[in-house]
Amino acid sequence: MTEVSTGGSRSPDTSLAIEVGRRARGVSWWRTPTARRYTFGYTLLAPAVLYVLLLVGAPFLFSLYLALSDASTGAPVAHFVGLDNFRSAVETSVFYTALRNTLLFTVGAGLLKGLLGTTLAFLLLQPFHGRKVIRALIVVPFTLPIAVSVLGWKWMFDSQFSVINWALSRLDLIGPYGSASWPVWLGEPGLALLSVMFVNVWRGFPFSAIVLLAGLTSVPPEILDAAKVDGATFLQRFRKVIVPMIAPILFIGSAFDTVFTLSDLSIVYLLTNGGPDGATEILPTLAYNTGIRGGALGRGAAISLFLLPILLPLIFFLLRALRRRQY
Amino acid sequence: MSDERSSAVQSRRSFLTTTGIAAAGLTLADMLSATQAPAQIKGTNLRMLIWSHYVPAYDVWFDKFCKEWGTKNGVNVRVDHIPHLELPARYAAEFAAGAGHDLIYYAGQILTGQYYRNLVDVSDLADGLGKKHGGWLDAAKSAAQVGGAWYAVPDYFISIPVLWRKDLFASVGLGEPRTWDDLRKAAGQLKSKGHPTGMQFSHCNDANHNWRALMYCFGAKETDPSGQNVALDSKEMREALKFGKALYDEGMTPEVFSWDDASDNRFLASGVASWIHDAISAFHSTRVTNPKVFEQTFVVPEVAGPGGTWNVGEPNVWAIWKFSKNVAAAKEFIQGIADSQKEAMAASLGYNMPFLKGQYAKPMPYLGSDAKLAKLQDQEKITAFLGFPGPMTPAAQEVVTTFIIPDMFTRVARGGDVEETMKWGIGEIRRIYAKHKAA
Repeated sequence: MTEVSTGGSRSPDTSLAIEVGRRARGVSWWRTPTARRYTFGYTLLAPAVLYVLLLVGAPFLFSLYLALSDASTGAPVAHFVGLDNFRSAVETSVFYTALRNTLLFTVGAGLLKGLLGTTLAFLLLQPFHGRKVIRALIVVPFTLPIAVSVLGWKWMFDSQFSVINWALSRLDLIGPYGSASWPVWLGEPGLALLSVMFVNVWRGFPFSAIVLLAGLTSVPPEILDAAKVDGATFLQRFRKVIVPMIAPILFIGSAFDTVFTLSDLSIVYLLTNGGPDGATEILPTLAYNTGIRGGALGRGAAISLFLLPILLPLIFFLLRALRRRQY
Repeated sequence: MSDERSSAVQSRRSFLTTTGIAAAGLTLADMLSATQAPAQIKGTNLRMLIWSHYVPAYDVWFDKFCKEWGTKNGVNVRVDHIPHLELPARYAAEFAAGAGHDLIYYAGQILTGQYYRNLVDVSDLADGLGKKHGGWLDAAKSAAQVGGAWYAVPDYFISIPVLWRKDLFASVGLGEPRTWDDLRKAAGQLKSKGHPTGMQFSHCNDANHNWRALMYCFGAKETDPSGQNVALDSKEMREALKFGKALYDEGMTPEVFSWDDASDNRFLASGVASWIHDAISAFHSTRVTNPKVFEQTFVVPEVAGPGGTWNVGEPNVWAIWKFSKNVAAAKEFIQGIADSQKEAMAASLGYNMPFLKGQYAKPMPYLGSDAKLAKLQDQEKITAFLGFPGPMTPAAQEVVTTFIIPDMFTRVARGGDVEETMKWGIGEIRRIYAKHKAA
């Protein structure tokens, strides 16, 4: 402890104590070990923060600015219009169709990807010949350029030359081309939405499987063996042991998948462009066709921002659940 | 493999490329030597952005033209081709950045009204070309003028005629179709024989053109001639919608709801279609993919309806950004390519229809020498563009990009009430026009 002399002669020990105290008081806080530790930590964090601010924060603020203005692709000056663009969006029936389809597309595709991804992950966990090759091959749909793979599907869904219909017809499951039972994949409203959802699932479920596989391989086999010895069934082991242990990975994977699916423009744009009669219209295609192709940037930005209230609570709850599990 | 077989499997692209190069090579040198560019553009750079043409041979000719024009005028020309649907996004980016290509091109989707404040006024150039080549078609102004000034120079438009099967029509005792009723009658009779017709009800370019052609032929108007007021709420539009439903019920199959721009080409080439309403690319591709069907495929520029005969073409125009670093060379290039329209038309196999009246002198390149296509030489008399009879304003463009008109036809074809559909469609269109007026 530092002693402070009130005057008179001082012992050498006392002098030293006072000197140390003075020196300690003379050093600014930012030079203390604690501050240095903080500085080091924040320096390491800075690139990530800067990245998020520049590549996410700035575009977000810019789109907010556009949504509140009458900006168009050809007008150099935009005027503040308040919430007019949002009002304009909700006044149209197409918006509600797009919103409904967006939710159906995201939830439906998410559930299917989860189901198929989990099944595939468990299959890939089993030892079999060529497992490494298969593991590498299943990510092919995810790695293919989206334009190429979607055009492939467009051909497979073709109303006249669909290889799917051809196979079904050869198996006598449907009639020949031109018959009433010949499915028009991208033409019937329900089928069209299912088709675009299917392509999203085809492209995304290998990613889900790989994420889950990474989680599953991190579960110590002794714990699973112990659960087996205790008489736990496969489903019980999955629900009570595996899921709780890989929950952080599941949460992060779900968050990523939801964001990617909700904002997926390419599949719908290339397969149906929202048609027929809005049957596959989703918020991203409506925003693109209104804002970029139609030139009404403000209204396009407003439509795209409707994704935010859908995404934000979802991501918030996912991340909160994740944090609670960590502590 | 025999020679005949080799010939039969020649790809459409190689066929079009070979034919185009042959047509192009003949007169390019003479053409380029006809004009002399000003000295100040020598040693400069000219960057242009243009679409990838549906006829690959045309792009081959065009790139060669650019190279030789550049060599002759001492200009370093760089041409960037991208798919036409990507052009609007690219222009939005270039405008936002205030930098990009010196010379740009609107293909199909005309953005002159959207960007005119930021485009060079090219009235001098357009007026000069008009005087030199016998004047512009009225429709040209719709795509290139704003407030009476030219902010773009029309290059060519693509007509979308009726391609019909003579043998199939004859099998039910019908001849060349002259009216929409003739087409409906033929489709109705031939559908039961396995030869339906088809026009896209989906969200694609052709859907926007084809149903508008029917509308305009029935006398329906999208706006008044000023392009400021919506004029769709009419008896004629209701009749067009009813006719569209009848045409679908009697002569089409549900596959038309899923079609893209190329589906009708394949439909014709497969031998199934009794007739289609499409650009002559379908005609050319069928020549390669199914010669037997091609032999029986004939062309009429358009059929008449109760309101007249209107064909909805797809215009293509040149424009120059105000921030262009080489306005002089860009203008000089436009002059050069406009003067070479005949060669361009030949290279495109008759696809590129001129906007200048003087270039309709018969026989027109390629069309004049093909008996089946010769009727397209009068196409200029019946051509209208999107938004008709108003100009292609930004509001008209937004109506196009949001597919409201094809969706109206889709709703009625699927059994929707005509009045309900009219209320919905007109409401959507009026809302768009009101927004653009307020901006």
